[in-house]
Amino acid sequence: MTWWIPLRSLLRNRRRTILSVAIIALGTAISLFVYGFLENSKLQIQATTVKEYGNLQIASPQLWDDTADGYEYLISPETEAQVLGLLAEHRGITGVTSQLQFPGLLAAGKLTQVVRITAQVPGNETLNIDDLVIDGRPLQPADVAAVLIGRSLANRLALKVDDVVTLTLTTVDGAYNATPLRIVGIYRFTSEQVELRSLFIPQAFAQILLNTTGIDRIIVNLTSIGATDSSTAIIQRQLDEAGLSLKVKTWNELSPFYKQLAGFFDILFGFLTLAVFVLVFFIILQVLTLAFLERTREIGTIRALGTTRGEVLGQLLLESAWLALLGSLTGVAIGLLFGTGFNALGIEWQPPGTVEASVLAVQVTFLTALPPFGVSVMATLLSAIFPAIQTSRLRVVDALRVE
Amino acid sequence: MSSDSQFCHEKGLAFLEARSLTKTYQVGSSAVHALQSVNFTAMQGDFVVINGPSGSGKTTFLNLISAIDRPTQGEVLIQGVSTNTLSERQLAQLRKDKIGLIFQSFNLIPVLSAAENAEYPLLLQRLPKTERAQRVQAILSEVGLADLGKRRPNELSGGQRQRIAIARALITRPKLVLADEPTANLDSETGAQVMDLMRRLNEEHCVVLLVVTHDPEVARYARRQVRIRDGRLMEGEGS
Ligand SMILES: Nc1ncnc2c1ncn2[C@@H]1O[C@H](COP(=O)(O)OP(=O)(O)OP(=O)(O)O)[C@@H](O)[C@H]1O
Ligand SMILES: [Mg+2]
Repeated sequence: MTWWIPLRSLLRNRRRTILSVAIIALGTAISLFVYGFLENSKLQIQATTVKEYGNLQIASPQLWDDTADGYEYLISPETEAQVLGLLAEHRGITGVTSQLQFPGLLAAGKLTQVVRITAQVPGNETLNIDDLVIDGRPLQPADVAAVLIGRSLANRLALKVDDVVTLTLTTVDGAYNATPLRIVGIYRFTSEQVELRSLFIPQAFAQILLNTTGIDRIIVNLTSIGATDSSTAIIQRQLDEAGLSLKVKTWNELSPFYKQLAGFFDILFGFLTLAVFVLVFFIILQVLTLAFLERTREIGTIRALGTTRGEVLGQLLLESAWLALLGSLTGVAIGLLFGTGFNALGIEWQPPGTVEASVLAVQVTFLTALPPFGVSVMATLLSAIFPAIQTSRLRVVDALRVE
Repeated sequence: MSSDSQFCHEKGLAFLEARSLTKTYQVGSSAVHALQSVNFTAMQGDFVVINGPSGSGKTTFLNLISAIDRPTQGEVLIQGVSTNTLSERQLAQLRKDKIGLIFQSFNLIPVLSAAENAEYPLLLQRLPKTERAQRVQAILSEVGLADLGKRRPNELSGGQRQRIAIARALITRPKLVLADEPTANLDSETGAQVMDLMRRLNEEHCVVLLVVTHDPEVARYARRQVRIRDGRLMEGEGS
């Protein structure tokens, strides 16, 4: 009927309205803050994961499913050229490289360590870890028998730049091969596991060691993480149409860690949402039930004047909508303010399993504000439905008799 | 409007009719016969005062006429249409368009200003803003409160509040106005002013005015008096 009468009604009891707004705002702000924090953590982990895996990887299904006995999954130079040709047609790709990964045993003096070797193309920008090298230098195209090792491995095995280590591995024909490698650089990473396990050597040299001309995967970087799924679909279709038995996997399929963590974050936020919802719902239910009850006689009066039940219901729901809007917007404002302040503090934290502290931050954007806002609005509106329906159904004569 | 008023009473059209109107309340195992087979007719422009002892059924009678309550038996006809045949929605429409209500304790909406209270029925009728403003201005002048429109009810005296309530009841130009003890919460002088106003409005607007009252002073304003006793209605002053 009118938008302003419900607003006036809402403001008639200032203290009660302020209390209600405060409760809704508190729920919204807490929810927004936690959600913003989880979203920020996700983004950081996303970035790390993409840095580790690239956006997409293309390889034989045998590699992905781990069904090969030997090295049948290797991609021949001809196939690689064909794939690179297909990718060249695709826009939104910022870089492409190939890798060859295999296990080995690293020996330094009496100490040994099982490692995973990643054979890279030195100088290729994609997935290169040049900027992570903290001692020595990155791999260079002219390098032969050179290796980059992680900081944690260097510490564990007491290795430094220019030390020589021995790598033992199995060739594609199943023969053993051992070769000395000179440490040209030491890199850091956020994950200690990666620092301990992963070695980087030049691809051409690795192919000689393994006695192959193939590679095991082609890695693609995209302009944005958001484009991952659409690009995957397009590239997979191109591969299928070309009759290549290759499968595209995305960064989050490749990292079980990310999927688990994202799932855990979602559950965490789910519980928080539920708690906020229940808190807001029941408190506002109480408040509105009382507020509507106090107005019984007034409702009786306007019904007697010819206001229909539907109109009364509409007015009461509109009143709760104003409350929802006031509370939730206040909450969003507080949450954003608090989040921005928190970000300005720059608090550092070292997550378990990582080597370096990262700066704690909350994602404070319109998008992260939306779910907490929606939850509070829904909780408030739903809490109003029952008392509003009850109040609109009062018998007019009875309502008028109430003092 | 005023040309109407000269004729409305003389036409002698029955505006309102109650036939065998009966209301029985069930309180526990016993039945309270609040109204027993009441027959009543009001002509256009009638000004009827209804009196009777407390608990005799006066409010019950008004509630049945304004159709905010339904009779146990019998019917109320307004311009020949039985309210028993109308849906909840249609009854709301009837009250909104044809009936004005005035309450003992004014029943103004506290969050609305005096002018907004008077305007409220026009909001229900969804009249355009300019017309609402004109009518509010006119009716406030008529009840002598043109300058106090901005005040909230709690900033008005009892007499002023009741005059706003009268303005609210009349703003839709209803054909029937029901008032239940409109002066009971007012001192006798203010009560007399309010009744003067009601009589003037009855004459000028040609409305059927039913006023329930205990007050013999008030009863003198009426053209016609009826008495309710133990749920039965009698014409004349009675004793
Ligand atoms: N909802 C109800 N339930 C039970 N009994 C009721 C109800 N409403 C009214 N009554 C009874 O019906 C009878 C008539 O009541 P009503 O309110 O019409 O009297 P009244 O003439 O208006 O009295 P008063 O002058 O005191 O206002 C009374 O005996 C009253 O107790
Ligand atoms: Mg009464």
